[in-house]
Amino acid sequence: MVVASLLTLYSVIIIYFLLFSPAEKRYNIAADLQGSFLSQNLFEILKFQDPENDEIYFEQSVAFNKRGEYKKGFELLDQAVDLNPKVHLGYRGYMKLRFLRDFKGALKDFTRLDSLTPNFVDAPWGEDINFLRGESYFGLKDYKKAKAYFEKSIETQGTDWVDIQAYVYAGICEYKMNKPAEAIVFYQKAIEQSKYTVEAHLGLANIYLEKKDIKNAEIHADLAQKYYSYKRNDGYNEYLNEVYKKDIELLKKRFK
Amino acid sequence: MKNKTNLFLFTSLVVSFMLTGWLFYLSGKRVGDLSVNEQQDGDFQVCNEDRIFQYYNLDTDYKGGKKAIKQEILSRLESLDFNNPGLITARFIVNCNGDTGRFRYKSTDLDLKEIKVNSENIKKIKSAVLLLQHWNSPEENRVFDSYYVLNFKIRNNKILDIF
Repeated sequence: MVVASLLTLYSVIIIYFLLFSPAEKRYNIAADLQGSFLSQNLFEILKFQDPENDEIYFEQSVAFNKRGEYKKGFELLDQAVDLNPKVHLGYRGYMKLRFLRDFKGALKDFTRLDSLTPNFVDAPWGEDINFLRGESYFGLKDYKKAKAYFEKSIETQGTDWVDIQAYVYAGICEYKMNKPAEAIVFYQKAIEQSKYTVEAHLGLANIYLEKKDIKNAEIHADLAQKYYSYKRNDGYNEYLNEVYKKDIELLKKRFK
Repeated sequence: MKNKTNLFLFTSLVVSFMLTGWLFYLSGKRVGDLSVNEQQDGDFQVCNEDRIFQYYNLDTDYKGGKKAIKQEILSRLESLDFNNPGLITARFIVNCNGDTGRFRYKSTDLDLKEIKVNSENIKKIKSAVLLLQHWNSPEENRVFDSYYVLNFKIRNNKILDIF
């Protein structure tokens, strides 16, 4: 009898936890166990109990998108956007840009978000919306528009908040539009902000080499090599302007 | 009375066993797990079937990154023709020896709806990925297996990008 009661109590506690414990607690546990089927089942229960709660759909989508199951991930994300577009459109745009490289799709989401939040500079997933727009146009190889948005990001964020890569990208855009002198200015600004900006050193080294200014080219190639460990990277995806050791090695070979 | 007690004991035992088993099953299964299919996977082996990490847990990568992957195989795949714009996403395992296998594919259009892709093209993508020989060496990879995700972006009926 005692054993049976204990076993019943055990089952009741589990069922109580799964179905009736505070939703916030269950949500946090489900988020912490990201990717496990237990987490997914908890999200399913939470959605059933609170189908209008956009955060659940958003959080549930994360594991799918990180693991390349975009159909399911975006089904959930789309539901989050439908329920609360102001909160989730920016993130969906960010995901389209960084995870799918669907630049046009990303721009559509950023534009719609802007229309919902007039007079406010949004920051999808913590990054300035104008920077992300610049990056999307960069991906589309529309360097003119990309540069304009990176400049807008620099202007609206101010030197304290701007992402240094905005200068780097603006520099690359100038270079792509055959304006190496203007590119140098942007790269220099990036280095003024942080001497560890590997991408700017590499960009400068390349331009100086083309101008046959070997001395400066060597200086910046060496700095790019020295600070290589500071390069911008991300555990999930390759950045569009990501630099690699091989880029520096290939550039250095051209000195000879 | 005794019968009722026995029934109570039996029921509580069954219920608690089922719940525990269910929870155990759920906590061991993960989104994106790829199950073995010997017919498809040949003699590819992982070192520990119960502990396959995600690429972002171990920084699993190719020597020279995605850029190197693209440089090594994009040219082989540029001649392939596709019907829809979208993504072909390959998920596979980089095992503890730096070998790749257990390839599975999902394809989506621009609205993220699933689409069918010509199986010959998939075969060619797989053989191209198998040419990549410089996955994290076992030392760097700390002798673990991990899943990896590689996207093939289709625009204007051709593979435009690999990332």
